[in-house]
Amino acid sequence: MKHKIVIIITVLLCTFCNYCHAQSINWAGLKEEDRHLLNLNVGIDYGVIYGIGYGYHLKSKLPVVLNAEFSIPSGNKFFDDFKTKIGAHVKLLEVSNIAVSLNVNGVFRRYENTLVRLSNFGATANVIIGYYGPKWYVNGEFGFDKAIVTHFKHKDAYKSNFPEVKDGWYEPSTGGNVQCGMQVGYSFNNSDVYLKGGKTIAQDFKTSPTIPVYIQLGYNLKLK
Amino acid sequence: MYRNKLLSFIVLLPIFVFSCKKEMSIDAPGNLVPKTADQNSSLPSIVINGAKLHAETFGDPNDPIIFILHGGPAADYRYLLNCKELAENGYFVVFYDQRGTGLSQRFPRSYYTGIQTSFDDLNGVIAHYRKSAAQKIFLLGHSWGAMLVGAYINQYPNAVNGAVLAEPGGLKWKDVDDYVKRSRKMDITGEALNNATYMDQFLTGKEDEHTILDYKYKLLASTGDENENVGNEGSLPFWRSGFVLQDVYFDIIKKENSDWTTHLNQFKTKILFVYSERNKAYGLTHAEKVSSAFPNVQLFETKGAGHDMLSFSTGWNNSRPIILNYFNALK
Repeated sequence: MKHKIVIIITVLLCTFCNYCHAQSINWAGLKEEDRHLLNLNVGIDYGVIYGIGYGYHLKSKLPVVLNAEFSIPSGNKFFDDFKTKIGAHVKLLEVSNIAVSLNVNGVFRRYENTLVRLSNFGATANVIIGYYGPKWYVNGEFGFDKAIVTHFKHKDAYKSNFPEVKDGWYEPSTGGNVQCGMQVGYSFNNSDVYLKGGKTIAQDFKTSPTIPVYIQLGYNLKLK
Repeated sequence: MYRNKLLSFIVLLPIFVFSCKKEMSIDAPGNLVPKTADQNSSLPSIVINGAKLHAETFGDPNDPIIFILHGGPAADYRYLLNCKELAENGYFVVFYDQRGTGLSQRFPRSYYTGIQTSFDDLNGVIAHYRKSAAQKIFLLGHSWGAMLVGAYINQYPNAVNGAVLAEPGGLKWKDVDDYVKRSRKMDITGEALNNATYMDQFLTGKEDEHTILDYKYKLLASTGDENENVGNEGSLPFWRSGFVLQDVYFDIIKKENSDWTTHLNQFKTKILFVYSERNKAYGLTHAEKVSSAFPNVQLFETKGAGHDMLSFSTGWNNSRPIILNYFNALK
């Protein structure tokens, strides 16, 4: 009971502060023989986003899912903007149905508009705490998304206004957002359907992105 | 074994790549946005109320003066340089980038407490260039600049001899808010909205990290070029956006629920109020509503142009004669 209260408070706290964008896994529904996780998702994450993902469940003592994700925002220009993530989701601790997991990802993302093309290497780290049952799960997560180093390649439209602009790699970090939120999921047969949401705030804890909220509806298919 | 090698390669590759390049700082002046007048002494500038303002003039200093007030307020006067042609018709034309934007000196967010700062700067700029009390003073403002013209006349009804207002968002906060919402209305799945929002994961700036905030705001503002609502012909030329000024002024105007129409009935001189045919968010109805606070108004619709009717050839060629006739009648 005490654990459940702690988890409920944690989930609520996370919900109040922000959202996270981490792979959603029902640890209780993930069988030892499940090896491959396929994911489809749609939602709002700095824009209207469509994403796919793949996870590989390692045969290891510590439950680990290696994952790769790819997403693009809507718009009439495909692949001018996208985000890829590759990393691992590890269940660190489990007490009864309560689990704590860590999801760490390297990120490569691209943005392009009429003035510039940005290519960024970054990283995300999320701590996820929640209740996992065979049929459903609920969790809260807290994370950080850091744009570590970014390459700027300006287009003629910008250079014609500022010819001295310097293209190249910029660091230290050009950006970062703190994220936390919650997700709920329902598992059936070899599938999970989940919904997650929350908000995002910049690393100064004062400013918010233009779209300060996150919503994602996703589907996982588990294969042996 | 193979997996370990692959993981090592993935981890080490970025280190090798980045260690071979010389990285730049986003905060360094002149890297992503131009240096301002206080950072680059070669820029033409004047010092007004303790601020180094980027400024240029055209024509005979003894002629009647037309002060050009740019929009934004985060924009700069570069996109209005067509107006220097008015100097060929017997006017002394003065351009300046408003405090905190363009190539003028930046100030921290806490510096700004109200738009009286802009009134004081305009008073200072007028005093700087005016040769005598007999020299006539005209204002030409576009968008935010036109709002500033209206607000300035409301504050100082006897200070100017005539004014052109080109599509001010409004002279009351409610009108401004309504117009801004209409003009920024975008398709939720469209490229313009995506371009405005997706960059938030690449670039974030703290309150007074001007360079990154200015740069980011320029990327955001450029999405307006893809916004068909305002009907522009293309992209506007620019120097630097002043994000802090933009953000703090809109906060202040909203908080104060500003109304700059309370004394406009004292300004009996006719104003020229210009709006554009292709700006779907503006139109005759909004033009009549905003201009109605002035007792004597000449409304003019610029055919074949959008919001930035003074910047592109069609709009400028169609607006210039009527603007010139207006000033000549008051000269």
